[in-house]
Amino acid sequence: MSETATRVLARMFERMSEVIETEKDHLSELDGAIGDGDHGITMSIGFKAVNAALSTLDLDTASPSDVLSTAASGFLNAVGASTGPLYATGFRRAAQALADRDQLDLAACRDMLGAISEGIRDRGKAQRGDKTMLDVWLPAAEAATAGVASNLSKPDFWKAVENAAENGAAATATMIATKGRAARLRERSLGHADPGAVSAAALIKAIAGASCTQAE
Amino acid sequence: MALKTSSPRKGGISRANGPEGLDSIPLRYGDDPYVWACWLYYEDGMTQGEIAEAMGVSRATVNSYLADAREKGIVNISIEPARLASLTIAQELKRHFGLADCLVVPNDDNTRPLIGRLGAAGAQALSKMIKSGDTLAVAWGRTVLSVGEHLDMAPLQDVTVVQATGGTTASFAYTPELTTAAVARAISARCVNITAPAIVASAQMHDMLLAEPLIREQFDTLSRANRIVFGISSLRPNSTIHTSGFFESVPLQHYLAKGAAGVLAGRFIDERGRHIAGPLDDRTIGISLEMLRGIGTRVAVAGGFDKVPALLAALRGGYVNVLVTDAATGAGILRADGVTSLDGKLSQRQKSTPVANAYRTHVKKFLNNPNDVVEEMLDGLIAAHKPYLQPIGNSRRALVARNGPRPGKVGLVIGGGTGHEPCFVGYVGKGLADAVAIGNIFSSPPPDPIAKCAVAASGGAGVLFVYGNYAGDVMNFEMAAELVEEQGIPIRTVLTTDDIVSSPVEDKEGRRGVAGNFFVFKVAGAACDRGMTLDECEAVTRKANDRTYTVGVALESCSMPQTRRHNFEIGPDDMELGMGIHGEPGVSRERIRTADEIVDTIMDNIFKEMKAEPGDRVAVLVNSFGATPLMELYILFRRVEQRLSAKNITIEANWVGHYCTSLDMVGASISILHLDRQLTDLLHHPCQTAILSINAPETDGAARG
Repeated sequence: MSETATRVLARMFERMSEVIETEKDHLSELDGAIGDGDHGITMSIGFKAVNAALSTLDLDTASPSDVLSTAASGFLNAVGASTGPLYATGFRRAAQALADRDQLDLAACRDMLGAISEGIRDRGKAQRGDKTMLDVWLPAAEAATAGVASNLSKPDFWKAVENAAENGAAATATMIATKGRAARLRERSLGHADPGAVSAAALIKAIAGASCTQAE
Repeated sequence: MALKTSSPRKGGISRANGPEGLDSIPLRYGDDPYVWACWLYYEDGMTQGEIAEAMGVSRATVNSYLADAREKGIVNISIEPARLASLTIAQELKRHFGLADCLVVPNDDNTRPLIGRLGAAGAQALSKMIKSGDTLAVAWGRTVLSVGEHLDMAPLQDVTVVQATGGTTASFAYTPELTTAAVARAISARCVNITAPAIVASAQMHDMLLAEPLIREQFDTLSRANRIVFGISSLRPNSTIHTSGFFESVPLQHYLAKGAAGVLAGRFIDERGRHIAGPLDDRTIGISLEMLRGIGTRVAVAGGFDKVPALLAALRGGYVNVLVTDAATGAGILRADGVTSLDGKLSQRQKSTPVANAYRTHVKKFLNNPNDVVEEMLDGLIAAHKPYLQPIGNSRRALVARNGPRPGKVGLVIGGGTGHEPCFVGYVGKGLADAVAIGNIFSSPPPDPIAKCAVAASGGAGVLFVYGNYAGDVMNFEMAAELVEEQGIPIRTVLTTDDIVSSPVEDKEGRRGVAGNFFVFKVAGAACDRGMTLDECEAVTRKANDRTYTVGVALESCSMPQTRRHNFEIGPDDMELGMGIHGEPGVSRERIRTADEIVDTIMDNIFKEMKAEPGDRVAVLVNSFGATPLMELYILFRRVEQRLSAKNITIEANWVGHYCTSLDMVGASISILHLDRQLTDLLHHPCQTAILSINAPETDGAARG
């Protein structure tokens, strides 16, 4: 019997929390350039709360969907801000998308990434090119869809998703913010990568890492 | 000896022109031979030889005085900044992208439309380049049509102007045919159109058309083009690509999904300038990207922030070797490509060594554990303001006014991030807000405490949410409103948008809410306490917000307790106009000026929007961002009062102090509430809160609890 999907998901969140802790200062610095300088702190508080909430779950009985909705409420109750509603909505959508699944195969991962990015898009009412985390989540979700369609192996699938995410984050430096606090800077936001996009790429990398070490 | 010039200033010089030389520097130059030499040279227009005689020193000494004076900054030679900036940007673009030439139009306050300015500049560039015998290809577009309209040059011989793509529907003014014809007409050239559609129904049709002898001949002409002028379109929602109907929207989505960053001559490129293959390739009749890149002179004329990614892609792809753009876009392209040297070159500042932070990297603060600041502040705050408020249940992130909510009264819920104290918690109490939701530093509270506040504030007559217009707050309060409305409590929302420099007046709804919150909360609280209906409360609160105008100026950045570092830096001689209350960089950075001049700039901005008549009444709030002391606030208030009374506007009430801060930021904001009878009445309505107490209807305004 392979490792349960629930446990893999829980490990994904653990990895996400770790990577945010490592990147915390860097993210705040990026945010200082075009926002209010707290993105690293906000993400760190959020993912610590997610871990705290997940530690109360019994991973032997909880479903994958339970993990995602617990993470959503944990994150939202801890941070608010703009990342709170965005990720909470994303994770909740992912919980719905995985409701009938007990396997975390690549198709399930594709659905999860797709649901997260749609949730973020619907809540934030942003679109691609607005210099937000969506410029990472949408291409990553698309790469996942394409990866499943072309039957990529697991490492290749995640490689493609990670690449799409990283390219998306880098591309935000050439965009002008139209949402959030950076929008007030107009062209002064150019040349600065969006901190929300950079943290999104880091999260996707963590998800990929956790999935690739999944015991078969 | 006689001096050639006869300026009245000469008197002193003649006297000094004695054998004693430097010992008798005229009084007004002090003891400074440099200033004396400079004055004679730059102001009196004397030659170095004349100065040497006048000063009784050698010509070589005069020469070195003049050179040293520039080093020392006694003399500054300046070029008009906007023009200098556009020259600098043009030079940097040329260098960074290896362009043959680059023309950058200065930003002239956007008084003339950008397309026209770019067209004129593009025409100027073309007129210098086109020679007799040339074949010039012309791609379609608004900007290129404008180039044609501005082009005016002496007739050349044997010039051919050829359309670079097939034709389109004539439903807009800048079709390929019209654009090409306009350019051809302007230079009296032979005009060759491509008499086929730019996009045809099938690849088969494409091949058939290109096999037609007539069209083949037109393409032969196109292939001989030695110069091309083209625009660059972005794929942003209102670009010409979408509005012209040139492309169907379905294939557009295909290209967007593949990362299309821009379109030139009907071909799509990604952010690195690589061609994006797609369904339109085989159906497009026009110059290919390879053909385009093979042309000797490739002039791109394009500008506007939304085109930065597209322009950058075109530059990276090598499609452009002469660029015509505007200064803001040019600077944007350079920044987007990671060129950082530009800012230094633009600021044109003396090289000064950064001493200030050399020995200190952290801001001192009273702290225990930096991660506990909000919790510890709330401990103290709840204890200190016990007479006015109490936690809802065991949540300290949701506080309710004692004696606030009551049956039949509309509940008023306010809230936002911390770091703005006394906002928002200081305005909770009888006659003002009924409950406050508290977030982390500079972060909106989550929906849960907001919903708790709404339930606690509800007296059965509905609940009004009033908070600043920030993306995070809007999302969280909206989610809370959804939760509470499910429980049958009607919610209305008024977003405060008083920061008038945060967005132009056409985008009033996009402005952020800052210190003017104070007035909007006061009016809303009074309306609710008077027993007005939810509709009426919402309407009058909206009116208060519409009539509140705030402009802020920051002198130094704030610092977060967790980092104890400045969130950003404001240069030693600079200030940031339009800074919000989260330390977001403001709208423009300028050299710091006197207090009166700063107030004048602020008040001029406010008067531009506030339609006040002589005899009107206002309320004034001069607010510290945290670290600016009252002494300076009064200096600001002094000038505000002078400017208002010069317009015969009466100050009905005023507040000077810390009302909406941004941690330890140095800076201040000025808010004006343009009163009418109803607002005046509500402003004086009694209230008891930790920060604002008004006891009787006739308080003298300077009421501070």
